[in-house]
Amino acid sequence: MTGGANSGGAPAGGALSPMLLRLAEAGATGALLRDTGALYLSDGAVVHAESPAAPGIDILLTAGGRLRPEVWQEAVDAAGARCRIARHLLDHRRISAAELEISHLEALYDAAYFVLGPGGGPSRFRHGAVHWFGALRPVQVGEVERETHRRRGLLDALWPYPQLDTAPVVRRRAARLPPVPRRQRALLELADGVRTPPAIAATLGRPAFHALVGIRRLAAAGHCETPAPPAGRGVGPGPGLRLPYEAGIPPGPPDVGTLRRVLDGLEARL
Amino acid sequence: MANTETVLKDAMTSIDGVIGVALVDYTSGMALGTLGGGKEFDLNVAAAGNTDVVRAKARTMELLGLKDEIEDILITLGGQYHLIRLLKGRGKSGLFLYLALDKSRANLAMARHQLKRIENDLEV
Repeated sequence: MTGGANSGGAPAGGALSPMLLRLAEAGATGALLRDTGALYLSDGAVVHAESPAAPGIDILLTAGGRLRPEVWQEAVDAAGARCRIARHLLDHRRISAAELEISHLEALYDAAYFVLGPGGGPSRFRHGAVHWFGALRPVQVGEVERETHRRRGLLDALWPYPQLDTAPVVRRRAARLPPVPRRQRALLELADGVRTPPAIAATLGRPAFHALVGIRRLAAAGHCETPAPPAGRGVGPGPGLRLPYEAGIPPGPPDVGTLRRVLDGLEARL
Repeated sequence: MANTETVLKDAMTSIDGVIGVALVDYTSGMALGTLGGGKEFDLNVAAAGNTDVVRAKARTMELLGLKDEIEDILITLGGQYHLIRLLKGRGKSGLFLYLALDKSRANLAMARHQLKRIENDLEV
């Protein structure tokens, strides 16, 4: 039902995984495996996704308060071996179909974002592999690719420093910072200079992409440090490339501290 | 038992003047389900854009020090109503229902009432 006129086909931004599109066209069933995780297909549609970077459906359901951990464990024991955990939860009325679908879609798109991310390495396909959770609401490959593109664009629009997504989050403490929005406070409290955004998400039981969005917003507002991009790749001007300022991209993260001191000085003169 | 599709179908058929309805995650801006809309009204675009509306209002309330929660947000256009209902309850915070209505055919009071009922249907 999602997408309406747009369902199916490759998204405008180009295919993230040509192999995935071919498998969808062939109506394949099995698991697409990359270094960044796995996408499970059934008759060419995505029925599940998992990634080490994203909390699993079990964590989202139990940490989010929808299911007690012992109820989840009971479902795993009773139906895990038959790959019918979703069916078991619904048949025993542990959760409403709508709530289970919502959590499942959150987990699916969350993991898919990382599986289809850059640096996922080569793809392999294991024909016939089935995920233990069981199919719930299949999603067309075109929709998964489109949403993944949209999410990349959203992060870029918020604060275009992708190194924030994988680096330990370091909190900035300064006198003049805007108040922290309520939903981002929990993220900031876990910013201990060790945890990365996916680790913070796992601790809170939230989708990892939510943490990426929150940390980009917090960094843009000056609450977190924006680490320098990794040396040797990324925004540095290589041979034959346009300089960053010519492309309209700021050359690395601005020195927020200096900007704030300038602002303070200007305001003091008013 | 209601799944998201039957809940959205219920909204389409039981509320007068509905143009489209979407269930939206407002941190990511993703529509978890949409129904209605069409070529001239892309509900996925509406879903992503309206997360900024919700965030701006929540932020303003925090700056004002209002210790209250948003129940719904109404935007009145010349020819349409857009209604945003923030969901509450276990695990559903962070979602909203978005409803676009044809102003000439809609009964606003009734639509708000129905939206509240539909929110409850997501839980049973």
